[in-house]
Amino acid sequence: MFAQLQSLWKALWNRSQMESELDDEMRFHVESRAQDLLGSGLSREEAHRRARIEFGSMVSCEEKVRETRRVTWLEDLAQDLRYGWRVLRKNPGFATVAVLTLALGIGANTAIFSVVYAVLLKPLPYTNPEQLFTAFQANAQQGIAETGCSYLNFEEWRAQNHVFSELAGILAHQLTLTGRGEPSVVNTSVVTPELFALLDVKPVAGRIFFPQDGKQGAPSVVLVSEDLWRGRFGADPRIIGTSIDLDKRPFTVIGIIPTAFRTPFFNTKQEVWIPLVQDPLFSTFMPQRGVHLLPALGRLKPGVSVAQAQAEMDAISGRLAGEFPAENKGWSVRLVPLQKEIVGDVKTALLVLLGAVGLVLLIACVNIANLLLTRATSRSREIAVRITLGAGRTRIVRQLLSEAAVLGLFGGVAGIGLAYWGVEVLSSLLPRNLPLVNVIRVDNVVLGFALLLSAVASVVFGLAPALLAANSDLLTSLREGDIRSGESGNRRRARSFLAAGEIALAMVLLVTAGLLLRSFSKLMSVSLGFNVQRIVKADVSLPRFQYSTPQQWTSFSGELLARIQAQPGLQDSAVAVPRPIIDRQVNLRFEIVGNPPFSAGASRTADYVSISPDYFRVMGIPLIAGRFFNQHDVMSAPRVSVISQAMARLYFPNQDALGKRLTFGFPPSGAAEREIVGIVGDVRDVALGQAPGPMMYVPYAQAPFWGANLIVKSTMSPSSVAGAIRQEVRMIDKDLPVTDVALMPGIIEASIAQPRLGTSLLSLFAAMALVLAAIGIFGVISYSVSQRTREIGIRMALGAQRENVLKQVLEEGARLAAIGLAAGLAGSFAATRLITRLLFGVKPTDPLTFAAVAVILIGVTLAASYIPARKATRVDPIVALRYE
Amino acid sequence: MAEQAQLLPGTLDLLILKAASLGALHGYGILLRIEQITRGALLAEQGALYPALSRLEHQGLLSSEWGISDNNRRAKFYRLTTSGRRRLREETQSWNRLVTAIGAALGAKPQEG
Repeated sequence: MFAQLQSLWKALWNRSQMESELDDEMRFHVESRAQDLLGSGLSREEAHRRARIEFGSMVSCEEKVRETRRVTWLEDLAQDLRYGWRVLRKNPGFATVAVLTLALGIGANTAIFSVVYAVLLKPLPYTNPEQLFTAFQANAQQGIAETGCSYLNFEEWRAQNHVFSELAGILAHQLTLTGRGEPSVVNTSVVTPELFALLDVKPVAGRIFFPQDGKQGAPSVVLVSEDLWRGRFGADPRIIGTSIDLDKRPFTVIGIIPTAFRTPFFNTKQEVWIPLVQDPLFSTFMPQRGVHLLPALGRLKPGVSVAQAQAEMDAISGRLAGEFPAENKGWSVRLVPLQKEIVGDVKTALLVLLGAVGLVLLIACVNIANLLLTRATSRSREIAVRITLGAGRTRIVRQLLSEAAVLGLFGGVAGIGLAYWGVEVLSSLLPRNLPLVNVIRVDNVVLGFALLLSAVASVVFGLAPALLAANSDLLTSLREGDIRSGESGNRRRARSFLAAGEIALAMVLLVTAGLLLRSFSKLMSVSLGFNVQRIVKADVSLPRFQYSTPQQWTSFSGELLARIQAQPGLQDSAVAVPRPIIDRQVNLRFEIVGNPPFSAGASRTADYVSISPDYFRVMGIPLIAGRFFNQHDVMSAPRVSVISQAMARLYFPNQDALGKRLTFGFPPSGAAEREIVGIVGDVRDVALGQAPGPMMYVPYAQAPFWGANLIVKSTMSPSSVAGAIRQEVRMIDKDLPVTDVALMPGIIEASIAQPRLGTSLLSLFAAMALVLAAIGIFGVISYSVSQRTREIGIRMALGAQRENVLKQVLEEGARLAAIGLAAGLAGSFAATRLITRLLFGVKPTDPLTFAAVAVILIGVTLAASYIPARKATRVDPIVALRYE
Repeated sequence: MAEQAQLLPGTLDLLILKAASLGALHGYGILLRIEQITRGALLAEQGALYPALSRLEHQGLLSSEWGISDNNRRAKFYRLTTSGRRRLREETQSWNRLVTAIGAALGAKPQEG
């Protein structure tokens, strides 16, 4: 062992010394032999000659000694890497291009992977996250795939199941925090007390919720986040046991939750947590079994399978449907792994991005493979000589591979540098609604991925050239002049194949990017059905304990609206709950009076909006028939409703909807009959990409909500609008915060931030692919022209026209393009099927996109071939022939 | 000169170890010693000697050191190490067993009966 190490040491650091020692040794041998031969009567020259012949080839002997000295793969590797480094240093241009290309590819891949890893792959930051499942209610007949459960059902689930070690319900909204500084709105999670024990959360100070905190009549308690504690409360250690005001009602602080804790389902940082029973809004729904509101989270008992759990929940659902058919008939339970629920539909987009960026790296590898292949051709003599001198073919392959590895190493290191930067840029660009529980960063796993990628890439671009080089025909390579007159057909075919492959890969990316671009522009140009320009929104949150009656809500919003409309420039103001795109939509079931009631479980629903009379005018939603609401539609007047065109078409086909009556509404007016007095234009209220559905509007005065969600159409800047509103609100109640003032165009923009980022990134990758493919084609054609200089010279000497030569070279490019496009077409058809879900208004086989991409690729190929083709036509026959 | 035979594969290493066991020798000296102890019956290829020496040294069976030769020149001397000596003993025994066995096999006569 020691001898080996010593020998390794010698081999690594004293290689040249060892070689000169061996030289001395062999010379001593030959000279001693010559001396002995001299003694037997030969002449001096003859003796030396004989001695040398007897010894045989010293070079070959040296190579064999070197073989025996091969200590481990490590020494070889070090030697090969040193050699690779030397070779690359001799070709700085080639090395720079290759390393840069690789760095871009690896950097982009690593950056995207860091997002994919954080969102899709990394385990959620909870204890045993694989045991966590969400339990939703679903109703196939009503087409409801996922919604919460009622609190009463939740209690039955908890009591009856044997598969979950714990179940907890979670909701979130905002409450107003007052006292100790400015009034502010805090993100509030409303939970059943089991949540923190279920997720194994350790408080920074104090305690978490205990079961008794969830009982009716328990003292109101609150947990605050570490951030809120450090920020608003100055990290006051005595905060535990003191009380804070939420919506003007005192809550006792019992614990501080660490910053690192993320509340499942909700992306925004939650600031306070209160028991469901204490919530001013949601607690009112607790006794109602028909209100499907509460999403539940459960932890499976160890050893219980999902199928077992599902079967148990199905049985419980069945029992509940039998016991309470009015509320539970048709409803089932759906268990979804928490991770899957959090990730949602971002998965497709992320995987498409990862695939795309992977293709870019593949193209980069193909490019480098081509460059290496070109160099291997010019080095084929060197390689042939080495093989003749006794180097094994595997040795040669390894050596060429290690050159690739050196490239890969440098590319990888530079790429990781780029990735750090890329992750930073990406994090700042990521849409805020991306479901993130983990933090995106370059951690060990991501670093490992980058290194693995570099290694795989090195093999991908290094192996083909190395194998081809080691298998080249020795004799042909050694024959003088052969290097210049051409290269083996194998290698030429390999290079053309690679270049055509690049075109094919680029085509897949360009088609994907093209389709996404087209669907994005369709999305942007979609008609929303309402005004966007100059619309400002602002929220006034009313403390629910203080403003607890509908009368108070109506009078507050009436007074506020009157005050705001009295301000110059703010005449066009309205209140609406919920507002399109801005707020979460409310879907309510309804019945048509006079029609037989929809059977249980087959009810119809429509989006429900409560508005002040001026809403339609401010938003520019057109009146189709009947009338808008007016000042007389108040609580004491007959109930009225305005429906959307889509609703009229869907439920009153071929009849006049005006004068018909609907029953719908929130408790306690759930059974109120409302006469349809008007029909208005359709509005995309949920998302830009979602077709308008049936909608029903009611006058705010007849269906008040707490708080005031304002819509103002004004030429003033958002900040002056906000200032004016704030001033008026303060005149009414100095403790009310005005929050979330924003311009409508910005809100629309934010709502499509995800497809925008995805489309931009994919377009960037497609552009990179196009540039790389162009470089690749340029390289192949240029090399082919330089190889055929002599042939072209002869042809021109024999009278070939320049146009013919130009045509011939361009034809070579066109042939590559044709093969590449054919392969790319097949690849694109396969790839675009995967992105159907990301498309809007465009078919995955959109002929326009395919045609445009084909034209671009042919154009780029011909342009890339044109430069070397021009060079070919300038070949001087005399110079070319003398080249020999 | 006696009739010469080709070396069996692997036997060169054994002969080198044997030659070196009789005292430190330089490469050429080992060649001469092999010629001498085999009485010229076995001829080692000169060029093959050095890779073999290098291999044995690398395996820790030989150690080397630069010294001055009989003709007053700088030469590299090889010496058997302890593990080289052990290896020589083992190889010699196994060689002898092999020779006995092969000899017996080749000496067998057809059974009469």
